[in-house]
Amino acid sequence: MDRSKGSAPAHGTAHGWQMWAGWAAPVAALALGLGLALFTGCGSEREEPRPGPETALATAAPAAEDSATAAHGASSPTAAAAAAPVLRPGDPARGRELATQFECGRCHDGLDVPPVAMEKHCFHCHQDVLADKFKGASSTAIAKWKPHIAYARDVPSLLGAGRRYDPAWIERFLLAPYDLRPLLRPTMPRLALDAEQARDLAAYVTRERLATVPEEPSLAGADLARGRKLIEEKGCGACHSFTGVAALPEAPPPLADEHYAFEERAPVALAPDLRNARDQLSVRTVYEWIANPKGIKDDTPMPKTELGPDEIRDLTAYVLRAPLEAAPPKPIPARLPVLERRVGYQEVSERVLGMTCRHCHSDPDIARGDGGAGNTGGFGFKPRGLNLKDYESTLAGALDDQGERRSIFAPLSDGTPRLLGALLARQAEEAGQVNPEIRGMPLGLPALPPEDIQIVESWIAQGRPR
Amino acid sequence: MTTKTLSVVRNVFLALGVTAALGVAAVSSDAQACGGAWVPEVEIDYRIAGMAMAEKSLEQGEYVAVAGSVLRMIPHIVTSKPGRDPIMGRALRALAVSTVRMDGALSKIDKELPYEMIGSWVGTKAEDRSANLEWSVQALRALNEQKKNDPALQTELGEAMSKVPAHQEEALKLLGGLADKDLVASPEGYAALARLRNGSGDKSGSEQALKRCTAMAKSDSLCQVTGKFAGDT
Repeated sequence: MDRSKGSAPAHGTAHGWQMWAGWAAPVAALALGLGLALFTGCGSEREEPRPGPETALATAAPAAEDSATAAHGASSPTAAAAAAPVLRPGDPARGRELATQFECGRCHDGLDVPPVAMEKHCFHCHQDVLADKFKGASSTAIAKWKPHIAYARDVPSLLGAGRRYDPAWIERFLLAPYDLRPLLRPTMPRLALDAEQARDLAAYVTRERLATVPEEPSLAGADLARGRKLIEEKGCGACHSFTGVAALPEAPPPLADEHYAFEERAPVALAPDLRNARDQLSVRTVYEWIANPKGIKDDTPMPKTELGPDEIRDLTAYVLRAPLEAAPPKPIPARLPVLERRVGYQEVSERVLGMTCRHCHSDPDIARGDGGAGNTGGFGFKPRGLNLKDYESTLAGALDDQGERRSIFAPLSDGTPRLLGALLARQAEEAGQVNPEIRGMPLGLPALPPEDIQIVESWIAQGRPR
Repeated sequence: MTTKTLSVVRNVFLALGVTAALGVAAVSSDAQACGGAWVPEVEIDYRIAGMAMAEKSLEQGEYVAVAGSVLRMIPHIVTSKPGRDPIMGRALRALAVSTVRMDGALSKIDKELPYEMIGSWVGTKAEDRSANLEWSVQALRALNEQKKNDPALQTELGEAMSKVPAHQEEALKLLGGLADKDLVASPEGYAALARLRNGSGDKSGSEQALKRCTAMAKSDSLCQVTGKFAGDT
């Protein structure tokens, strides 16, 4: 997993063009930062308090205020105001409807949307299958499924998200998700959301956010070196990675798929890369989180560590203010040449389609009427009718936006067959480059390795033999 | 009464009690029968595993085995229509496609079925083969009515229709339309299109379809334009 991906969208560089809708917050932050820099200067070794994101994002309706703040702090208010249209505030009620429409509850707990049936809840279902609690399938079938789903059993709950996350960050993240948790293979999928929907969802997810924000704990006098020492001494690296700073002495253990109890897995699998914290969280949140994680999120596997107030301050400062090395760009893997040997459908099915794709593009007739999000619809996607059950179904295409059947081998604008294009687009997404023409697949999962894509490309190039 | 007699009587009562209890349990198929307590009724639908195996056989080209399996599992399938039970639709498709691929003559199915179920499936006579193919066309047509806009089913219907002279014009139109969109879902579909185009004098179109058939098929023998259809008399 590329831990570097975390910073790119937040800084609006590689992803900037596609986050047009969420640019007000970066503009505001930049303007505010420039203004503060003029007054306070830069490069101080000792940390001075700085306004967290909440200064500008105190309510669930931050965007308009952001624009105003940006205009206020900019050297040319007229230009800034012209460049920053006033966006309507996020609507939590509309966001709740969208959370139902986009089926956020199929993965995330901690939302007050209507509960999702077990067979539709991706992670509960997987957890039951892996724990031999799943009813309704033969033991043979369950044994066959287990290795295919072992990697997808943990997902962060959104309990108390409003007390943790900056809604502007959630909005940006929904529009251009990136990898937050290096040891968790599934990632937030890139849903078919527009900017307003993302803002409404962010407002809903952070609905518990306090209208009046308490004063930020001060980081004045914080000692980054002491913070670093504490993060090493307390063994934070046993679960967390922290890319961009010197490597932590302990590293998260490799996660075995099998025979790994949730209590052991979750702290590691769900531990985010700490480099992202400064994009997501305020000083106050990090401070309170370190002091008492369960006080903010009751179901967190993060343990409470006995620390004094100064130690918490220093740790908070290190997490939020430690200088970060620029994230190295993630290269898009080189495409391997088309194979000369014959590649038949069976190989494609066993290596690729049956391993990953079929989960969302299956046959409703053999899955209680639910052909998955990529067939009968789900996660806000309309039914595309793409069934990858077998050879004939794979060749039968998918529905386009007009409801017309179209071959999944039809060329994209650059001539790449759509199926191949989707696999390559996922590689590009992981490198921070979104292809506006096609959504990367597999959705919300790591890109296929080049060797698997080579199999698919060779099969297509050979005329898709049975 | 002696101790021995008492013991015998006690054993008789015990046996009667156990028998009665077992009897109640045996007839209590109603989930609410046991004092309102919910008792699960486990019914295993053997058609699920059977259908999965039949479809596997279909992929492997074991058409007589598919037909035998489907007919044994669902003896009334010949007069059935696809309904809400997905198994029925899958069974109809598997039997129809197998019949079509055997040109209406499931020649060794008499080894797979009891005598009274064999009917015309063996297809020794031309009219039996034609009837079998016509049944397949109608079954696939019904499936296409149920699942509209499914090129996999449309290809199979086109393939079936191509073997019945009365439906060949419709088959040519259907398969040609699918080919224009690169949605012919099987080499058999392209083979049928190649034959139909050849028969209608479209040699170039026939060659194109044949080329696609050859690229997709496991064996070149599938992709021939010569030879008459089994449904032809």
